[in-house]
Amino acid sequence: MSVEDEIELMGQRLNEKIKKIFGRSLHIREVDAGSCNACEVEVNALSNPIYDIERFGIHIVASPRHADMLLVTGPVTRNMELALLKTYNATPSPKLVAAMGSCACNGGIFGETYASGGGVDKFIPVDVYIPGCPPRPQAVIFGIMVALDKLPQKIGKTGVKP
Amino acid sequence: MLEILKKTLKAGSQTTKYPQIPDEAPEGFRGKPQLFPDRCTYCGECAAVCPPNVIWLTEERGEKTLTLSYCGCIFCGRCEEVCQSGAVKLTQEYELASKTKEDLLTSIRRKL
Repeated sequence: MSVEDEIELMGQRLNEKIKKIFGRSLHIREVDAGSCNACEVEVNALSNPIYDIERFGIHIVASPRHADMLLVTGPVTRNMELALLKTYNATPSPKLVAAMGSCACNGGIFGETYASGGGVDKFIPVDVYIPGCPPRPQAVIFGIMVALDKLPQKIGKTGVKP
Repeated sequence: MLEILKKTLKAGSQTTKYPQIPDEAPEGFRGKPQLFPDRCTYCGECAAVCPPNVIWLTEERGEKTLTLSYCGCIFCGRCEEVCQSGAVKLTQEYELASKTKEDLLTSIRRKL
């Protein structure tokens, strides 16, 4: 099976997966933990008519209390560290965390310094890494698909039915 | 009203069919860097210029290893620019999301 066939299969499975696990609704809270705003521009592009993630039932929400998944961007600066932890604690379990962009994965161009934490995984557990500077909207959709693979395990662990 | 309807029908649907149909990145897009083990001379130029330091050159038991991590790579293309033997090439591939950091590592090695 070629890579293209595999991707095609994954796309068909995405709709089924969201339907089965979430009843056609995955809610995402986007957290800016000191990002340069390039990643935010790509997240904005996700809900425009061209990429339109609402067709899969994925929504961007305004509060972590409404969310199933956190999409964290930026290297986690000293000022945003507490805000990120509070957001993580406010999200109901079972929750997913996606680190979007190179900064969130590893510190990226900012590295690990006095003011920059150097990656989201140093503060909260991360389920999926989406590299790219910034990642294309398609790459973010792909990342969400990868994250959804992990969800059945999480539901089993917490015993909470969504 | 009719004018708007006419315009809408003419424009059609612009939404990408992405997950069902693979979407290729435009030409000149800087995606996943690829290493070519047969061309690499292990000089360490790419490791020296990499801005986020995600390329390492290590030497162990008479074996040189060049490791590249896509996690943290900013896809600037500096490695491709400085490589004189053309052992690093940036491809159009962008689907790099993974569950672990180890999956994002790639390495080539050669015995001295």
